[in-house]
Amino acid sequence: MTSTPTLLTQTSAEQQLAALIVASLQLEVAAEDIAPEERLFGEGLGLDSIDALELALAISTNYGFELRSDDERNKRIFASLRSLSSHVEEHRTR
Amino acid sequence: MASSPLIDRPAGAALFHTQDGPVDAGRFLADAAEIAGRLPAGDYILNVCRDRYRFATTLAAGLLAGRVSLLCGDPSASVVAGLVERFAGTAVVGDGEAEGAPGGAVPAMPQIAGDRLVAIVFTSGSTGAPVAHPKHWAALVARSRAAGERFGLFETEPASIVGTVPPGHMYGLETTVLLPFHAACAAWCGPAFFAADVQSALEAVPKPRVLVTTPLQLRNLATLTPPPLQAIISATAPLDTALAGAVEARWSSPVFEIFGATECGSVATRRTAETESWLPYEGVSLHEGAAGPFVRAAFAADTPLADAVELAADGSFRLLGRRTDLVKMGGRRASLAGLNEILTGLEGVRDGVFVVPDDLDRRSTARLVAVVVAPGRTVAGLLADLRERIDPVFLPRRLIQVEALPRNSLGKLPREALLDLLRTRDAA
Repeated sequence: MTSTPTLLTQTSAEQQLAALIVASLQLEVAAEDIAPEERLFGEGLGLDSIDALELALAISTNYGFELRSDDERNKRIFASLRSLSSHVEEHRTR
Repeated sequence: MASSPLIDRPAGAALFHTQDGPVDAGRFLADAAEIAGRLPAGDYILNVCRDRYRFATTLAAGLLAGRVSLLCGDPSASVVAGLVERFAGTAVVGDGEAEGAPGGAVPAMPQIAGDRLVAIVFTSGSTGAPVAHPKHWAALVARSRAAGERFGLFETEPASIVGTVPPGHMYGLETTVLLPFHAACAAWCGPAFFAADVQSALEAVPKPRVLVTTPLQLRNLATLTPPPLQAIISATAPLDTALAGAVEARWSSPVFEIFGATECGSVATRRTAETESWLPYEGVSLHEGAAGPFVRAAFAADTPLADAVELAADGSFRLLGRRTDLVKMGGRRASLAGLNEILTGLEGVRDGVFVVPDDLDRRSTARLVAVVVAPGRTVAGLLADLRERIDPVFLPRRLIQVEALPRNSLGKLPREALLDLLRTRDAA
């Protein structure tokens, strides 16, 4: 894996979040196989709106803050593991 | 046929609670007229507004301008393109187009003819093209009035409706857009998707409060501590009796379910924790026909039911389980036979079948599974093909490639054999 550019490898925060996504949504993929810049919804991981609710619940339980849809940046936040992780790191209370 | 006013509420009564405050019939009509005045020529409006208030004013603009509103629960780009091509003279109105200059003149209250076709609601047909369900004005008004009576909405103390369901889906349309036109309530139009949104929304609106949601969302919302609720209403999938009971105990409010279908709208209600029996709305009745049970309602075509029913002498009924191959997820429906046809029609697929998990209605993370015989194709490639052809909620979360399906000597696929196959895979 030494040839993999750093952009494509998960940071430790992303690893934790990827594990939470896989566990809470009971996905078939392995957490480490989620590419940080891959799309989470639609294509890529193929999540849907029901998953978004489930994920919001898991994030509030594990990171101690609530996702809201009046947040204009939601589309950007949910775009990829990387964007979601940086939002989580910015707002987590635990 | 008799006509009736677009809105039949006392002067000054709020119809909607926006984040900027309550909106009464006068201001609502002025906002709708402003949109109507800007519409290009044509017969149809494809209403793709996600904001509930803009959705409602755009719908009313259609009523004012003599247009038919085309509505779908989750308008994807391909659905929009398909409908624009299918209905010549369609103006697509989204949140941007519906945002207008406030403070226009209030038009006279329009009278709408009962037999006028006011909307066509689309369900995502499993075979690709969306299926059209025509809605006539009198049918919509009759159902709003019946729901107002059933849920005890009185002008002495109008209710606030906080709905988590999209306005273009038949259930959301009836309960969060049309209901305030003819029953004593006002619908919340701010965000209400994530649990935190719903909590804030319920705190923002005046009492008595009614939460309109779905079983999957209710499961997530059950951890909230909302202000007192007059009622919780659930629809789109069967509500687990235990969940209904738990929510009633926790929130000290009754939990009701609505049984309905896009073809005929809301049909009946029940208080899930207390009874299995459904009570039809005023003006709606169930009958046993030669081809199975059907719903009869004024101003609408008879609608065959996807479920087997047991009719009681007093008009109430019990549901006995699915009798067709319809599968419902996230408020959308598809025929399993149709999904299987799409799957087996993909390039390189020799055989394939969708499997419905037993707990599909009860577990929010449950999705369809597909088992496929397609040597030479990858899972990613097959999923990409399916994504172009079916609604995202029906995409198989697990797509399992096998050498052969466990067909019996008659060529049939016993469900038990398929479930065995899945269990073997789980163990591997």
